Amino acid sequence: MALDIALLVGLVLAAALAILAKDLIKAAVALAVSSLLLGIVFFRMSAPFAGVFEISVVAGLITVLFILTIALTKTDGEVQESRTALWIFPIFFIVFIAVDALVMKGLTAKIATLPAGPESGAFGDVLWKQRTFDLVGQLAVILSGVFAVLALFRKRDKDE
Amino acid sequence: MNSHWLLYLFFAAGLVGIGLYALLTMRNLIKLFIGIEVIGKGVSLALLATGFAKGNILLAQSLVITFIVVEVCLVATALALIVNINRHTKSLDVRKLTQLKG
Repeated sequence: MALDIALLVGLVLAAALAILAKDLIKAAVALAVSSLLLGIVFFRMSAPFAGVFEISVVAGLITVLFILTIALTKTDGEVQESRTALWIFPIFFIVFIAVDALVMKGLTAKIATLPAGPESGAFGDVLWKQRTFDLVGQLAVILSGVFAVLALFRKRDKDE
Repeated sequence: MNSHWLLYLFFAAGLVGIGLYALLTMRNLIKLFIGIEVIGKGVSLALLATGFAKGNILLAQSLVITFIVVEVCLVATALALIVNINRHTKSLDVRKLTQLKG
């Protein structure tokens, strides 16, 4: 339990660092650290497949894409973030956490849950047999993502 | 088990709060997108924690994996858009987008 709390606190701190860091590369690396910690939390929740996806895809691939974009968009003038935004963040965060702590218990008591029996079988059965339609949707999403990136980088026609 | 669920949901709400703050206050396009990513992390933590607490961890895992796939496509498309915006406006400032003409 103590390790879980330490991991979750580290996760939130890394996410806050990703927001607040001035250097974009540092922000991207902090985001990768936070998803690494999230993957470890998933492993500790006995969800190894989600943990593997989180660490390999989100911490690996998405960080590479972010760093590639930061390298491609180097500009002379850095974007000036407003100073009050950085200054207000700790106050906002403390107030938010306090409200969160007060409200969350009442909210979770009100959430209606569907009755569901305990699961049995392997993860593969659930993914391939129960959620087959989701997999078709995932294929469609990947294809549409590929076509969107292709469309965005299409060369102009000569007569334009 | 229920106290575990509360703890995870508490931190998931914290992540969503950090991401919303970034979306509301930041001006750099890449920072805004990092905010969206942080919100996504909070949502996937809440999904998996609920599955863990209610004894449906396998279903929650398959939902989280679906979410991660969608997230990767979102990231690829949005970063391509950011590169194109940067080519047009020579800047990453989101305020410059209001001056777009024709």
